[in-house]
Amino acid sequence: MSNAKERKHAKKMRNQPTNVTLSSGFVADRSIKHHNGGGKPFQVQKQEPHSGTSRQRQTKMMPHTQPEPNMNEQSSSKLTFKKKGGWKAGPDGTSQEIPKYITASTFAQARAAEISAMLKAVTQKSSNSLVFQTLPRHMRRRAMSHNVKRLPRRLQEMAQKEAEKAVHQKKEHSKNKCHKARRCHINRTQEFNRRQRKNIWLETHIWHAKRFHMVKRWGYCLGERPTVKSHRACYRAMTNRCLLQDLSYYCCLELKGKEEEILKALSQMCSIDTGLTFAAVHCLSGKRQGSLVLYRANKYPREMLGPITFIWKSEGTPCGTSENRQLWIWLHPTLKQDILEEIKSVCQCLEPIRSTVGLPNPLPTLFQEKSQTEMTDEKIGKKRKRRDDEEIAKPIKKIIGDGTRDPCQPYSWISPNTGITISDLTMEMNRFRLIGPLSHSILTEALKAASVHMGEEALEEIPHRWWIDVCRNTDSVSLHRRQEAIFELLGGVTSPAEIPAGTILGLTVGDPRINLPQKRSEALSNPEKCQDNEQVRQLLLEGVPVECAHSFIWNQEICKSVTENKILDQDLNRMRSELLVPGSQLVLGPHESRIPILLIQQPGKVTGEDRLGWGSGWDVLLPKGWGMAFWIPFIYRGARVGGLKEGLVHSQYKRAPAIPADFPDCPAGALFAEEQAKNLLEKYKRRPPAKRPNYVKLGTLAPFFCPWELLTQDWESRVWAQKGSSLEASPSGEKSDLRRCEVPHASTPEQPPQPSAEAVTSVTMESEVLDTECQDQPGTESVMDQDASENHVAATSSQLCVLRSRKFLKQLSTWCGPRSEDRRAARWGPGRGQQGLTRETCLVFVDHFPRALVWVSLSLLRRGSPEPHSMICVPAEEDLLQLSQDPQYCGPQEPRHNDPFKSVILKQKEKKKMEKRQNRGCAASKGLVAGPPEARQEAPTLGLWSGTLPGLTSHCSRALLGFVTQGDFSMAVGCGEALGFVSVTGLLDLLSSQPAAERGLVLLRPPASLQYRFARIAIEV
Amino acid sequence: MVRFKHRYLLCELVSDDPRCRLTLDDRVLGCLVRDTIARVHGTFGAAACSIGFAVRYLNVYTGIVLLRCRKEFYQLVWSALPFLTYLENKGHRYPCFFNTLHVGGTIRTCQKFLIQYNRRQLLILLQNCTDEGERDAIQKSVTRSCFLEEESGEELSDSDDEATETVA
Repeated sequence: MSNAKERKHAKKMRNQPTNVTLSSGFVADRSIKHHNGGGKPFQVQKQEPHSGTSRQRQTKMMPHTQPEPNMNEQSSSKLTFKKKGGWKAGPDGTSQEIPKYITASTFAQARAAEISAMLKAVTQKSSNSLVFQTLPRHMRRRAMSHNVKRLPRRLQEMAQKEAEKAVHQKKEHSKNKCHKARRCHINRTQEFNRRQRKNIWLETHIWHAKRFHMVKRWGYCLGERPTVKSHRACYRAMTNRCLLQDLSYYCCLELKGKEEEILKALSQMCSIDTGLTFAAVHCLSGKRQGSLVLYRANKYPREMLGPITFIWKSEGTPCGTSENRQLWIWLHPTLKQDILEEIKSVCQCLEPIRSTVGLPNPLPTLFQEKSQTEMTDEKIGKKRKRRDDEEIAKPIKKIIGDGTRDPCQPYSWISPNTGITISDLTMEMNRFRLIGPLSHSILTEALKAASVHMGEEALEEIPHRWWIDVCRNTDSVSLHRRQEAIFELLGGVTSPAEIPAGTILGLTVGDPRINLPQKRSEALSNPEKCQDNEQVRQLLLEGVPVECAHSFIWNQEICKSVTENKILDQDLNRMRSELLVPGSQLVLGPHESRIPILLIQQPGKVTGEDRLGWGSGWDVLLPKGWGMAFWIPFIYRGARVGGLKEGLVHSQYKRAPAIPADFPDCPAGALFAEEQAKNLLEKYKRRPPAKRPNYVKLGTLAPFFCPWELLTQDWESRVWAQKGSSLEASPSGEKSDLRRCEVPHASTPEQPPQPSAEAVTSVTMESEVLDTECQDQPGTESVMDQDASENHVAATSSQLCVLRSRKFLKQLSTWCGPRSEDRRAARWGPGRGQQGLTRETCLVFVDHFPRALVWVSLSLLRRGSPEPHSMICVPAEEDLLQLSQDPQYCGPQEPRHNDPFKSVILKQKEKKKMEKRQNRGCAASKGLVAGPPEARQEAPTLGLWSGTLPGLTSHCSRALLGFVTQGDFSMAVGCGEALGFVSVTGLLDLLSSQPAAERGLVLLRPPASLQYRFARIAIEV
Repeated sequence: MVRFKHRYLLCELVSDDPRCRLTLDDRVLGCLVRDTIARVHGTFGAAACSIGFAVRYLNVYTGIVLLRCRKEFYQLVWSALPFLTYLENKGHRYPCFFNTLHVGGTIRTCQKFLIQYNRRQLLILLQNCTDEGERDAIQKSVTRSCFLEEESGEELSDSDDEATETVA
């Protein structure tokens, strides 16, 4: 800093004359004489007080620069000028000591020297201004800075030099072409191709890039949020109209093979505990889409891999064999690496397919196309069509987009044993999601089922041969008609939520660009269509029949031909302009493209009790290359487009965990949390310490990440400590223990007393069920107490997991509910609902899931809007008491903590300052040796807890239960809502200690606040 | 522009005794002037002039001194200069006095004036000179000072080059 300032000053002063004194002259003169080896006596060294280092350097350089002044030898005087405008004058070496008398010659020499010094100072500008800036105002002219000729002639030379220098400093002109050439189509596509090499672009990228804040994430360029202010508008679109999202970045894995083999292989990866698996009847027939959570093979409930959705291809004919089934697994790009590896190992598919006959393998074409691009790149003059380019670009971006994979790597694998083929169909299809009640009318207006080809004529050069072939087959024509009819019926259904969840409808549609409206308009649901006729009722009741789920999109050959034979926008527009009557319908006849698509109903909110079916919609699967052709028609029908942020809001209001942020037990989730913590920390450090919250004083140990491991460990040890003490108190074992804990429950008036016998039976039943499910954990009731310590030891080695077993979740959700226990019990029958919250049932949980988390949703009782990373805490008894007395009670406050690090940090700062000062003092001697080691010590950040975290749960006045991962004011409910995870053991502890009327009340505290707020916890199954 | 406005006093140190220049230094000179101001104008004067006061240039051989002070109080400095009658060196006092040549608003104008002044002095010296040898020497220095004016452009380019070198 000071160095730079000095340098600047030195540069400015280099032309200015410096003081000339006698005393300074002698020493320097001597030294230089010495250097010269008794050469010419000259140069009274001048003293320059300002420039330290540069001056030194200059003296070092002296021997080199000496010859130059010597060239001024024609002047007889020994007074010569040093180059820097300095004063080199000195009388003869002999007469140098003290001028005893003034001779005219020395006097004149001195004057002459001074004149030249001054001349130099006057004529040369000081260096940190441009030439024209030295001119007085009235002589300045417009555009002087870049037109040299506008300057007075005497300054032009200098200005020329300056201008050249400035050009050097300026960035090189990267574009060697003019603007017009750059906008030219070929060059643009070339440029776009180049830019797609690092991150994959979706087909709607350009459209998005004009309207969205784009982010590079997961190897794609994705629109994060619209540039317009549209948070609320997007919410309204989701609830009342239609929100459109491009989900083409989702990855698709295809499994082909025998049904039993696939099911057998995949059954290792999922558990019946978490819900329906791949083998669910509806899904297996191809009628519905299924969704589930994958685990590493045989590792359930640990080592989660991620949530997926899947569709089976429906068997085209009812008598079809189960020989060759097709399964598509759709998953988030962050999960792809892990899941693909696992599926490959499970199916034993390790042999990559290089080139096979039966399978449409894009690999050879890839090479071909790649060479094509190279060729076209070389041939600059050759005009490329857009279509070529699209096709060329796609295989390239598909491979390179993954970054780690090299282009030659295959993306199909076959297993010799099981005959299963796995292929990676990423970016082979487009997936658009329409959310909201108007999605039906938008779909039915934008898409028209393809017209059936009738005539036999003109077979020679029609590109859509596959459709003609289909039309010859009467069966498939009738199927197409049925699909069309059902699709028409959909227009009469007011909301997609009325259709059974996950319904699949296949369809072949005509080119949607042909009936594009003139202006953007809002598609409204047609009330006439909404009549309640028999067909609609049947559709709602039974869903789409299995046959209608068939679509040609499953056939890769057809998809490829559809992609290749797409009519260009340009051609279409030309044809439109050539119409006889402008604005009339364009009829292409057999030349019109037919696009096979697949419509998948997305269930909205399926859990919980309120707003069921909110946010439901349709997913549209399209073959690649057709993205924009469908995108614009949807938008022209009034769909609003959302980005990643809107997707997050959607999942939040659905109270569903977002991928990958809300899956802390899968590798992608952990990675995401890590990155998020890093970003937040960076953002935090950018603020000055006085302008950011001191999290140590606020008692927030982890404001940027959620230490789930620590949390669960803490709770586990806490509960075990409690349990140990209780066991010591009653060593007789299970029965007495049971009775002992029966007493306090009975004493509370709200809780209906549980008959102990029933509790025992329920417990034993529970254990049996568990035994059958988890063979690897032999934890029966009898051995449980004895083996407690062993179990504990075994459990500590186990990893974090999230509770996803539906049975346990249901149980927990019943316990969480404060009042409706009886009602639910009645609904679920005696077998499940009667299981009360007793110590034993808790123990079952604790033993099987010692370190489990559970996904909960919280709604605030009154004020407050939760933030991500808010803490979920256990309320103390006095809080609940106060709340019951005063319903307006906001919540307790956390007392302010001490910051033990502050003094340490301040001391370190002092020390550093001192060191710096010392260093500066002896910098000349020491140099840089002493500096770095101290400086490199990692300095703790003011306001953050440094070092290892202390006891997490008991750090604050209220015990910590879990963290919020998503939280905001919910426009759907009208109060703050949060989603997050809590420790199961902690939750059970909380529930068992609270009276039934107030069960499920917790406290929420944002990381930057001391105020706790009451919230009600709920587990939705 | 927004800046502090200064006045620069270009003075000439006139002394009979050449020894007085021996240890002349900008610091010594500054102290002397300050003391004189304090003596003449009292504490107020000293304080008023101390802001921004500096010796910007000093040439022992020619006795040229450039003083800087704030515009508001340069009269005080100026009026104090005649009272500076001696220079002190190792206990010896050498009588001298200051001749104010020019009062300018920028260093640049002072420098320009100084060039003119020195030229005039040289010419006067040349006219009055009687000795042949000395006449020659003066002639040469005069031509040199004029010569340098023409060469300045060349020298400038050299120095510029070197500047770029050192920067690089």
